Amino acid sequence: MNSKADRIILILFLLVSAGLFFVPGFVESEYVLRLITMVIFWVGIAGCWNIMSGYTGYIDFGPVVYFGIGSYVNAIAMTKYSLAFFPSLFLSGVLSAVVALIIGIPTLRLKGAYFAIATFAFAEAMKQITLEFDRTFKVSFFQGSDGITLPISGYDNAFFFYCILPVTFLVMLTHYFIEHSKFGYGLKAIKEAEIGAEISGVNTTAIKLRAYITSAFFLGLFGAIEAYWITYITPSEVFNVQKTVQMVIMTLLGGMGTFLGPIVGATFLTLLSESLGTRFVEYYLIMIGAIIIVAILIMPSGIIGTLKIRKRLRFI
Amino acid sequence: MTGLKCDKISMKFGALSAVQMVSFSLNPGEILGMIGPNGAGKTTLFNCIIGILKPTSGKIYLNDADVTGMKPHKICRMGMAKTSQIMQPFMTMTVFENVLVGALHGAQLKMGQARRETEKVMELVQLTEHADKLSNSIPVPARRRLELARALASGANILLLDENMAGLNPHEIDEALKILKKIRDSGKSLIVVEHIMRAVMGISDRIIALNYGAKIAEGFPEEVVNNEAVIKAYLGEKLSSLKVA
Repeated sequence: MNSKADRIILILFLLVSAGLFFVPGFVESEYVLRLITMVIFWVGIAGCWNIMSGYTGYIDFGPVVYFGIGSYVNAIAMTKYSLAFFPSLFLSGVLSAVVALIIGIPTLRLKGAYFAIATFAFAEAMKQITLEFDRTFKVSFFQGSDGITLPISGYDNAFFFYCILPVTFLVMLTHYFIEHSKFGYGLKAIKEAEIGAEISGVNTTAIKLRAYITSAFFLGLFGAIEAYWITYITPSEVFNVQKTVQMVIMTLLGGMGTFLGPIVGATFLTLLSESLGTRFVEYYLIMIGAIIIVAILIMPSGIIGTLKIRKRLRFI
Repeated sequence: MTGLKCDKISMKFGALSAVQMVSFSLNPGEILGMIGPNGAGKTTLFNCIIGILKPTSGKIYLNDADVTGMKPHKICRMGMAKTSQIMQPFMTMTVFENVLVGALHGAQLKMGQARRETEKVMELVQLTEHADKLSNSIPVPARRRLELARALASGANILLLDENMAGLNPHEIDEALKILKKIRDSGKSLIVVEHIMRAVMGISDRIIALNYGAKIAEGFPEEVVNNEAVIKAYLGEKLSSLKVA
């Protein structure tokens, strides 16, 4: 639906993205720059989950696995094969996508809770593999729980800001494309009635796989960038299920299967936990939990989703 | 030969034979009625033909190509589509977008072309007034027509309609029949499963009757409704008073 509202939102989105490009030049405080980077980072990651689960309704409970694979590919390629950062970054995305293809073919046949369990199990399995591989085979590859230290980049926060911004931009552009394309109508049809979609000519398996791989590719990029940024990774950190939970909650809070959902949800939650976290160090997690519960009770379809339903608006 | 040919289709669920050795063919431009009591296997047979179920044995030929066990989306793209008894609109999409999915994915059209095709189909089934409404906010007769529109937009030449008139009042049935005839006149062939005898009799060129998964009669409408087996299994009494439209 190429409505007027959609075009206004796209123009706003492009303007904001262009404006963000100049932020490191204006922001003096490293803290503020880092905070803005974190917001953009989470918008992108939540967006990755939204591409797959938000639009198809297949609840992926292991997206963090592709984030972790990206981190590890980057770390190993840079330390063991002395690859430069950008080729290594690209390789991370591609390998994540390849793994997604291999894993997606069997798991995307599963539905509902079974799909969630399978993806969750795969993420946990990858964590265990990276933890135990070296000890089992007496090699030094993943370096188990010792983790891998990446080469110190020497780059400042602005560099990573400029790494993350384009990836998030591409993730959101993919959303816009989904909203207005054959691919997107296929995804939404699957969410509403999969058999109905199939008998209307939608190649459901192929389309789900495409969404899954796209999501994994971008997650791999994010994982690689973060690994290089914090320079030290361990399996329990990069495969942490909490990242998955955060992606899910941010998207749910913003609105699943909407363009604005991940943007609103991730921005809201990142800023909220930052502002509460600095003021109420001991209680802020309880407070955030309560706020999330209230928000979901009042707005079961998320902020954007509920707005669309209540106001009977048609926008992305 | 163009059209649809089913050769000795059987579908077993464990010990239960839902469909037993059913053979029939559908000629181009023909409307084939399918009748039978509840549980006779009509919907199961449809699901086998359209690829949702893989028949235990038997072959299905679409325009002479063997499509047995093919995935539904492939069968759809080869020119056969189904409307479901239990309506499955894409709820959060508008009526227009629902039909657009068929045009984009079934007929594999580009966006601009697909939109034009969608408009044409919606005109044909009289849905234009509902175009921008959400598909769960329109009345039942319109939803039935929406299913029909989605199937038509997918470019199918053969339409399987599974109780597409269920829940309609007599006036609405007349309207629906007019639309079906228009569709047939545009060169499509249809298989119509229906319990409303007035509708089936009024529209079918031929009728086949199923009972307990097996075909018990086939022929012109008057022959089938006067067939002893059909009367015993399904109709209960002779439809002598029935007015054939």
